[in-house]
Amino acid sequence: MKLVCTFWVVLFLWLAVAPMERVHAVIGRWWGIASTVAVQEHANMVPGVPRKGSAIMLDPKKHPLNKKQRRLVRRNPGTLESIGTGAMLAIKECQHQFSNRRWNCPVDTNDHVNSVFGNILKRGCRETAFIYAVMSAAVAHEVGRNCAEGTIESCSCDYRSKGPAGEDWEWGGCSDNVEFGKEFAKQFVDAGEKTKDSVRYLVNMHNNEAGRVAVAENLRRECKCHGMSGSCTLKTCWMRLPNFRDVGDSLKEKFDGASKVAVPDIGNNRGSRAKVTGLVPKNSRHKYPTDNDLVYHERSPNFCRNNPRLGFEGTRGRECNVTSRGLDGCDLLCCGRGYATRQEVTKERCNCTFQWCCQVKCEECVRTKTIHTCL
Amino acid sequence: MAGTVLENLSSRKLFALGGVLLVVQIVFFMIGGLIAPSPTSPIRYIASKCVDRGHHKSKWFVPWGPKDQVCEKVQDFDEATRKHIGANDIVFAAHIPLPNREMVRWFQFLLMIMELDVAFKVDNPVAENAVVTMEAGLAYRDDRLAEWTPVARSTEERKLVCNFSHSKTADNEGRYYDCDMVPLFELGSCFHKYYLINIRLPVREKQNINLNIGDIKDVNLIGIHQNGGFTKVWLSVKTTLTPTIIIILVWYWRRVTQLNRKPVLLEKTIFALGLSMAFINLPLELITIAVDVPWMLLLSDIRQGIFYCMLLSFWIIFTGEHLMDQSERNRLSVYWRQVGAITFGCLCMFIFDMCERGVQLTNPFYSIWVTETGKNLALAFIILAGVCASIYFFFLCFMVFKVFRNISGKRASLPTMSDVRRLHYEGLIYRFKFLMLFTLLCAATTVIFFIISQVNEGHWKWGEEHTVEINSAFLTGVYGMWNVYVFSVICLYAPSHKRKGLEGQQSSNIQLERETSEDGSNEEIELRLTNSQASGDAGELSVIYKIAGKEAQE
Repeated sequence: MKLVCTFWVVLFLWLAVAPMERVHAVIGRWWGIASTVAVQEHANMVPGVPRKGSAIMLDPKKHPLNKKQRRLVRRNPGTLESIGTGAMLAIKECQHQFSNRRWNCPVDTNDHVNSVFGNILKRGCRETAFIYAVMSAAVAHEVGRNCAEGTIESCSCDYRSKGPAGEDWEWGGCSDNVEFGKEFAKQFVDAGEKTKDSVRYLVNMHNNEAGRVAVAENLRRECKCHGMSGSCTLKTCWMRLPNFRDVGDSLKEKFDGASKVAVPDIGNNRGSRAKVTGLVPKNSRHKYPTDNDLVYHERSPNFCRNNPRLGFEGTRGRECNVTSRGLDGCDLLCCGRGYATRQEVTKERCNCTFQWCCQVKCEECVRTKTIHTCL
Repeated sequence: MAGTVLENLSSRKLFALGGVLLVVQIVFFMIGGLIAPSPTSPIRYIASKCVDRGHHKSKWFVPWGPKDQVCEKVQDFDEATRKHIGANDIVFAAHIPLPNREMVRWFQFLLMIMELDVAFKVDNPVAENAVVTMEAGLAYRDDRLAEWTPVARSTEERKLVCNFSHSKTADNEGRYYDCDMVPLFELGSCFHKYYLINIRLPVREKQNINLNIGDIKDVNLIGIHQNGGFTKVWLSVKTTLTPTIIIILVWYWRRVTQLNRKPVLLEKTIFALGLSMAFINLPLELITIAVDVPWMLLLSDIRQGIFYCMLLSFWIIFTGEHLMDQSERNRLSVYWRQVGAITFGCLCMFIFDMCERGVQLTNPFYSIWVTETGKNLALAFIILAGVCASIYFFFLCFMVFKVFRNISGKRASLPTMSDVRRLHYEGLIYRFKFLMLFTLLCAATTVIFFIISQVNEGHWKWGEEHTVEINSAFLTGVYGMWNVYVFSVICLYAPSHKRKGLEGQQSSNIQLERETSEDGSNEEIELRLTNSQASGDAGELSVIYKIAGKEAQE
């Protein structure tokens, strides 16, 4: 397995060598945009992300986008901001969904070279699948959102049925912006993948699609009756964009039910079916993954100890929950190494009065908390 | 009214006419389903969060466009908090339509609905009967560089009804409430190219304004307008229907006045029905292309109301006039209860409409449903109208039942009657049953298509290329159907003057009632017998009334 993996990595790197682009920057490099565009404004929202504001767009060597992606962004002014905020949204969502697990979606925005998530992306495990899906979902979501805000001017207006040419908007209105978001995300995110025909390529493409599908799945249909005197003789329906948390939830569910896949062997009689997706389940008794399933091709490491190759620091020092028997419980989270307990006096906000935005008036309460951390 | 066209028409001609009308009907459905786009389009807007540090109440904030016009924006409210921007400094701005497009006068109306994205926070929940108070403004311009001209500014209250489907624990912070949409404004005309909405949600702690409305993340707006293509198809349909109905109406009225008697009530009712149909058909909406007419929506509601009122009255009078053993007839006052109920019901709906759309002429943000008293008032009017409708239908069903009882009574005694009387009664029964059947058919079709259009997703895929717009097909089809209904009632229930020869008939383009000697089924011969035996229109009528009266006394 290891040998195969190394082989792929080597092949991957070899294929990825391109002028102006660093060798190992290929994997999801555009995610680095999160550390450039968005960080300037958002850094302090994401815990553990050091504030770093550099005008990377000006430096082509450090440019996180490849040629095709740059062209796309140039053609669709305004999308760069969406991608930036989308990447931040995805990171936040990933950290929220995985806050109780050993791997808690650590990011390092200083790491422009390797995209923000570190070397986990070089693996093909479940966590990688989630990252790909959530990133692509976030781009689709944010682009759709910014279309509705009017900040992206090129949002398409493809009309469903035929009218006099050139007057589509006047004749029959426009399709929803969510479609444009999905289509843009497909072109942009999938352009980040280079080495075609490898397992990793197919798996990543599949997970990208699964992320976009998750956005579409969570759209909610809403209708309004506005006929004569408010009756339902005239009814108009539209799709409401979901809260990204709902998308994250459904992706997390898919993470739990992700299927392990492989590229079929040549001559295998299951290959005919696999031509459609290019992937077959590893366990022949399992069903073929559908468009909205997450897939992976490598087992996840246990994420217990510091793993420099993975760039993951392990669970040492993580807070755990003594009473929980789940993944966030001290037994599982600390991988049986045990935990330390200490008392901490903290100042907390309490008795707050809120306004709908921006202003919170609170008192400060002192509370003693018992904190358990993994050894 | 004796001897209508209907009775004197051979079944072959009747079927031919029915066939032609059926084809016309199918064409109406096809026009809607295949040519027209869907009737309306929704467009989603997410309001940008503009920053207004100086509280410039008269300034308009533009979310996008040329750099010097665009307001200072914040991405989200966490950013605002960091920059020490308060709730009172935020202006939600939305530009209609989205970039690179402009509104067209063919859109006819603009309806705006607001949805708030409210995030759940354990210590900042949405209160039970929360009310959002907003200072909303609407402006327009026709040139990208021109100044904004205000349409309306108003302080409005909207109820915030929100559900949270998850448990209210700290884990679920950041999830959104499921909040009901609220109407924002309604414009009766879409006359200008660009519109701008500015909404503030001011916080006044002392007056307890906008305090317990949760953690608002976004203001979503949904703009609904009629599709230009649909308006064009709709107006073309109306424009072709108008002269058709008017011509048949003129023909009908000439027929009626050519008789040697005054028109009877039923004839007047049919004429009025035709007039109200012609009124509804008039493509007055074309004016909106040239002139800003915000009351067009109200007018079309009124026109529809008048037609419904007329149609319901027609049914009751028609049934009443076919009650064969009732001596008191041919006067509107006989039907005062039923017609009164209809008029009262329609009046209720009219007042309700005036309260909503009438007031919206001056303040588009107004909605009667927002305040408690307004809501009760609106409900009261609608319930009253509903009660009137039920009373009416009770009356109608009762009268139809009475007519059917009469018919079965008459059936038994038909063979013993003299020829004139028998044929008269047979004619009455035939006319009545025909209209009953026709009306039921139209009503059933309307209901069936209404249900289909409600259940379906709006359009059917038909092969690769074609889509059938169900909603448009429903609207044009049903509209066409009631036109066909009125048209056929006018021409089939027009007085027949067959025995009068050719005089006065040259002008009419439909001479359906004229029969050649060749086609003669038994029924026709019988019918012709009536005509030849009856003395004349006026005389005949009085004879019938006398007979009917006699029957009643017996």
